[in-house]
Amino acid sequence: MDYLSPERTKLKLGLNILVLAASLYGVSKKNYQDSKVSPFEAVMIESFAPIQKLIYFSKYKVGSFFDHYLFMVDADKQNKHLKEHVYELENKIYQLQEIERENLRLKGLLGFGQVEKSKVILAQVVGWDSASQFKVLRINKGSRHGIQTRSTVVTSAGLVGYVYRSSNNYSDVITILDQNIKVDAMVDRTRSHGIIEGFSSNTCLMKYVTRTEPVIIGDQVITSGLGNIYPKGLRVGKISKIEKESYGITQFIRITPNVDFRKLEEVVVLINGPKSKKPVNLSELDGGSPL
Amino acid sequence: MKIKLSGSLPSLMITIVTLIFLDIVATSVIPALGLLKFRLGFHVLIILFMGFRLDTPFLAPLILLIQYVHSVFSVEGWAHGTFAGVLVCLIVGYAKDLLSFSSAISTIVVTQIFQTCWFLILTILAFFRTNSWPYVVEKFWLFIPESICLSLMSPLFFAFLNRVWRTSFSASEVEA
Repeated sequence: MDYLSPERTKLKLGLNILVLAASLYGVSKKNYQDSKVSPFEAVMIESFAPIQKLIYFSKYKVGSFFDHYLFMVDADKQNKHLKEHVYELENKIYQLQEIERENLRLKGLLGFGQVEKSKVILAQVVGWDSASQFKVLRINKGSRHGIQTRSTVVTSAGLVGYVYRSSNNYSDVITILDQNIKVDAMVDRTRSHGIIEGFSSNTCLMKYVTRTEPVIIGDQVITSGLGNIYPKGLRVGKISKIEKESYGITQFIRITPNVDFRKLEEVVVLINGPKSKKPVNLSELDGGSPL
Repeated sequence: MKIKLSGSLPSLMITIVTLIFLDIVATSVIPALGLLKFRLGFHVLIILFMGFRLDTPFLAPLILLIQYVHSVFSVEGWAHGTFAGVLVCLIVGYAKDLLSFSSAISTIVVTQIFQTCWFLILTILAFFRTNSWPYVVEKFWLFIPESICLSLMSPLFFAFLNRVWRTSFSASEVEA
């Protein structure tokens, strides 16, 4: 084919228009709530995620060598202190178990629905998203281990996010720092409701909290359980900044997450049983409008 | 360089393998070093190289392929980057005669300019969806160091891709 021929120009124009139209369609249909992995993506993730895992594994090993062997100066003192602390906590757990049993009995008497326990899967972080504006991490457990999309991901410190997509052995978790995530939450002390959105690399925003709510800096924010994604009562973060404009009906609240995402190595995925599958209502979290 | 797609399959395969390797570096090695805020979009450099160097009617499908492979490592997906990539390469096509790659500095400057075009297109798309200025500002502050770093790498990276695709500077560029 002659490179300066009109046929070539027409072909180029046609292909450009076709690809631009397809990509615009893809942009309009892009869903940041969850995604199914195509067979090609599944093969690619399964092939290359082990390399990511190997890199992270090497990092953990090098880090643990320094932590466990080189920085052990105060270990003995810390050990004694922690043993005392464990003894105190064991006593407290016993008391709490008594309260839990009493709580269940009273709930039963009042006719409340039984709280279903989640299955717990421990996973390791093996990579992050390649674009810095997306705060997404990859973990080394997938659908083969029972992970479903939209399963809640937590650590002992608090909420991390939820599973966005998963292949057989790996899953991508969209974190609460991501702008595309919405978490229905409330301030623990005042029970003021709001929606949490990712804002920057280490803060979130809490929207739609009315100006009259007496929230203060340092208040703990927890999940409210609405939206049917996150269980109620998971710690999200603490209020780090409050701005009240002279106009408007809401206040601008910044949240610093409880989870330190810079040091995140292991996470826990909460899997609900098939009985507890409720319709997920994401549009409600977005003020009623579809994303 | 004018290319025939059938004769360029090995080059394309090497480019894709390079992209996968660099995406693994960006998603694992850089975060493992503690640089969580900082990611390098090497797919942008590859697509810009294709726009600068390859004269083929199949440029748009090639961009789509590169973006599709990249989407394995990012929830951004293939669509946004393909849209931005094709538009940027159309602009490159019209401005090709004005572009100079005679020195490392000029390559860095040209790459920075077209990365900015790419960023503007993606930002407009993101703004339509989010309607949030703070999000755009946050994206901008991330874009500045990342794009400068990519631009600084571009002379070396393009030299490597020149070898892969067996392209070379045109006579006018060498004279300039």
